[in-house]
Amino acid sequence: MLESLKAATFEVLETMFFVFPERLEESTELFHGPGLRAWVPVAGPKKFRVGLTVTLPLAQEMAANFLGLEKDEVPPDKLEDVLKETANMVAGSFLTQENVSEAFYLEPPQALRLDLDDQDWCDNSHHLLLAVEDDGLEVFIEKTK
Amino acid sequence: MAYNVLIVDDSATMRALVRKVLKISGLELGECYEGANGREALEILENHWVDLVLSDLHMPEMDGAELVKALRQNQMWQTIPVVLITTEGRQEVLAPFFEAGIQGYIRKPFRPEDIKEKLQNILGEAWVPDAGELEGCDF
Repeated sequence: MLESLKAATFEVLETMFFVFPERLEESTELFHGPGLRAWVPVAGPKKFRVGLTVTLPLAQEMAANFLGLEKDEVPPDKLEDVLKETANMVAGSFLTQENVSEAFYLEPPQALRLDLDDQDWCDNSHHLLLAVEDDGLEVFIEKTK
Repeated sequence: MAYNVLIVDDSATMRALVRKVLKISGLELGECYEGANGREALEILENHWVDLVLSDLHMPEMDGAELVKALRQNQMWQTIPVVLITTEGRQEVLAPFFEAGIQGYIRKPFRPEDIKEKLQNILGEAWVPDAGELEGCDF
């Protein structure tokens, strides 16, 4: 499952954002300062959510590449929009790769800003920590109620 | 011939991206209208001539399935080509849309070339390329 999530993430980030994540041992050390998290609730026979967390500079780089703008030209309010769209594409690609039943469907994405220093970062069977140069990127799949 | 295109997506960011990709795709673009859901799309169609609809699937108020159904049931609009631009890639989900008469789908994430190829196939010889090669084009 995590392999499908990783493949979906790489496909989306490389195709539409021109960023190339790597899996590094020191990835846990790359989450500092302000960040953004976006996720997509997946409804169906089981409920879960698929999402990602990035540092603010990485969010700015992704938005700039996505919109074809310079980093300092990206309106701040577009960062959440772009990251929500990213989560939407990763979740859709994940469902396709896992070929899950059509009974599962995506709900509207959500996003929030957070302080990355307040979080615990662990690489496990549901959380994948990646690096894009000096910035951290977390991808996750979590059960929900 | 310039094509009037209607982009339907609840994400303004994605609509802006598709519009940008269309501009560099080589399609001779006329008016480019935007709607945030199926209901807004129908309102635009009531008042404007549209040659091609590019629509998302999952949208609030009126989703892509309802939009395709409404288009195919209306004599004025039933021949307008519809292409879904969606994160959905599961064939069992997409099959009913092909049965309903959509012309194709483009799965997100996409490259500008994907949109160009799909529209070339759908619009066929009416296609008028004028923007040169897309290779290296930054969108």
